[in-house]
Amino acid sequence: MLAVRNLRKDFATIRAVDDVSFDIGRGEIFGLLGPNGAGKTTAIRIVLNILEADGGTITYDGRPFSGALRNQIGYLPEERGLYRKSKLLDTILYLAEIRGMKRAKARDEALRWLRRFDLLTYQERKVEELSKGNQQKIQFITSIIHDPVLVVLDEPFSGLDPVNQILFQEALRELKQAGKAIIFSTHQMDQAEKLSDTLCLINKGKVVLGGTVRDVKRRYGSNSLHVEFQGDGSFMTSLAGVRRAMIYENAAELDLAPDARIQDILKAMIGKVEIRKFELLEPSLQSIFIETVGIPAGGTMLQGAA
Amino acid sequence: MIAKVLVVAKWEYLEKVKSKAFLIGLFLMPIIMVGMGLFSGLLAAREDTSTKVIGVIDASGDLAGPLGQRMEQKYLLSNKQPNYLIRELSVGKGIDLDSAVARANQLTVADEIGGYAVVSSHGAPDTVVEYRSKAVGDLLIAARLEETLKSIIAEQRARARGIDPAVLKDLNANLDVRMVKLSQAGETEESGFLKVYMTAYVFLMMLFMLIVTSGQLLVRSIIEEKSNRIVEVLVSSVSSTELMAGKVLGLSGLGFTQIAFWALIGTAASLEFGIGFVALDNALLLIVYFILGYLFYAAIFIGVGSPLTTEQEAQQVTSYLVILLIVPIILAMPAMKDPGAMWLKILTFIPFLTPTMMALRIPIQMPAAWEIVATIAIMLVSIPAAMVAAGRIFRIGILSTGKSPKIADIIRWARKG
Repeated sequence: MLAVRNLRKDFATIRAVDDVSFDIGRGEIFGLLGPNGAGKTTAIRIVLNILEADGGTITYDGRPFSGALRNQIGYLPEERGLYRKSKLLDTILYLAEIRGMKRAKARDEALRWLRRFDLLTYQERKVEELSKGNQQKIQFITSIIHDPVLVVLDEPFSGLDPVNQILFQEALRELKQAGKAIIFSTHQMDQAEKLSDTLCLINKGKVVLGGTVRDVKRRYGSNSLHVEFQGDGSFMTSLAGVRRAMIYENAAELDLAPDARIQDILKAMIGKVEIRKFELLEPSLQSIFIETVGIPAGGTMLQGAA
Repeated sequence: MIAKVLVVAKWEYLEKVKSKAFLIGLFLMPIIMVGMGLFSGLLAAREDTSTKVIGVIDASGDLAGPLGQRMEQKYLLSNKQPNYLIRELSVGKGIDLDSAVARANQLTVADEIGGYAVVSSHGAPDTVVEYRSKAVGDLLIAARLEETLKSIIAEQRARARGIDPAVLKDLNANLDVRMVKLSQAGETEESGFLKVYMTAYVFLMMLFMLIVTSGQLLVRSIIEEKSNRIVEVLVSSVSSTELMAGKVLGLSGLGFTQIAFWALIGTAASLEFGIGFVALDNALLLIVYFILGYLFYAAIFIGVGSPLTTEQEAQQVTSYLVILLIVPIILAMPAMKDPGAMWLKILTFIPFLTPTMMALRIPIQMPAAWEIVATIAIMLVSIPAAMVAAGRIFRIGILSTGKSPKIADIIRWARKG
């Protein structure tokens, strides 16, 4: 549905987005990951035609941006609020109408969503009388009420309590089932891991890794090994294929190099200590994230991906 | 795409019409207008409704008698009773001037007399008379005492030189200068200084209130939209041109609501109470300048307001614009003294001042036809130019957050587009 190619955006002194490319299809949830200030929001604003790119192309179903597309986009900005002094239903209807929705239809849909989010009784209240969580529900409603094809959610889960997080996640999965293309940005890796089909990690404006979640894990993740034993485990730090080791009294966490041979490590341990548990752990996105962004040693991988 | 402009306009109008700031402006203006009416009434000399007792201390004994006689005969109340009763407070026969004054003071304080005149020296060439009362602002009685005493003294001197006082009366011109304002059609209309002043003042205040209340509402709403990031949702839903057009349109609706409401109250008030101090002959032309000024300042407020990020900055910037709008109010007095002055004409041709200067000048003296045509033309050119520049600033400004941009940046945006 959306194809982004070689996107570039310069601000006064920095290049906020540098040669970013990705694709999103219908019925797909795309996670845009990266630390704060990585350029996620800038990229999103360009996709939404709020900002103009300095280079690169974006096509929507093969066509460039046009005014008519505005009615097919839903957007939840990162730092968000609503008109504090305005009434709940009025606000929803206004934001639906400027997306080209007819008022009567907008009202029906608004009431349906308010009922679903258990806010029906608040419809004539002013926004400022609502709790923060409830305000976020309203903002979510306004970003999807007009049945958009492309839904863009910037940090949708930040500040949400666990109950509302589940509520939002359910709604997202429904949108996916309905064939929408969904972009969401986050710096919470567990969210991205649970929800997204494909993802893209950007840092300092550049794509550092991207692809399907499985693909990313396979290519960039370093496996880690959890061992429980009896005896002196200090030798484990110097085993071939072990990049980093945390040795405790009766257990050890070992970070393995991508080319580490598990069998050899196990063989090396046998006889030296008495092994009670030997478990190979799947890499989490969290660890990949820290590996590629947080630790300077990951610099080689960073270049390899870009 | 007009549909979306209308959606924005409707929202802007309905949300602002309900706001407190708008309602305060709506009702404040009529209160100011009525206050002005009362104020002008207070300033004007009021006729007494009952006879006043005035004391006279006259050591010479020449003046008190004729003064009493003439004052009582010449000035009458509307019910034909004398306006003043002159009570002679005797001096001599053991009572010296000082004790007479002390007694007069007591009487004045006790409200037995409204005040008293002391002839402190009487002779040629100067006679000095003091009028003392609790209300120093009682200019009318001072003027009447002066006029009457002057004629008495003149007659006494004439008689002393053997001239018949009747001759003196013939020699003295009876002068009465009245202010008459000539209207467009050449009709005459009796018009006091205050009436003209108040008319100009009321129109200026109306235009001022109109622009300032909606300007502030506009800037405040833009800042709110920026701080809660709704603006991002808006500009991803409509183009920035549509958004701005909607805002200007909604704001114009607000302006018309205000004018209509004020006109209604004004008409009702003048029908009910006959408050005629607002001359309405040029209302139509004034409304043209109101609309032009309103649209021009709407563009200015958008251009100036959209790059701002905090309420404090907004207040600062609007206060600068308020100063611009106040200029003609400050100039009201000198403009009345010399309505044809060149500097007034020059100021009228600066677009920022044109509407307010015209609101000031039209009630005082109708500017020449060419001036009206030329200034309207200037506004018709300035408004689209200001709108285009404002639109360019708006497009970039509404997305700038954090630190407000520098003035140089804003000017660059306005030029480049």
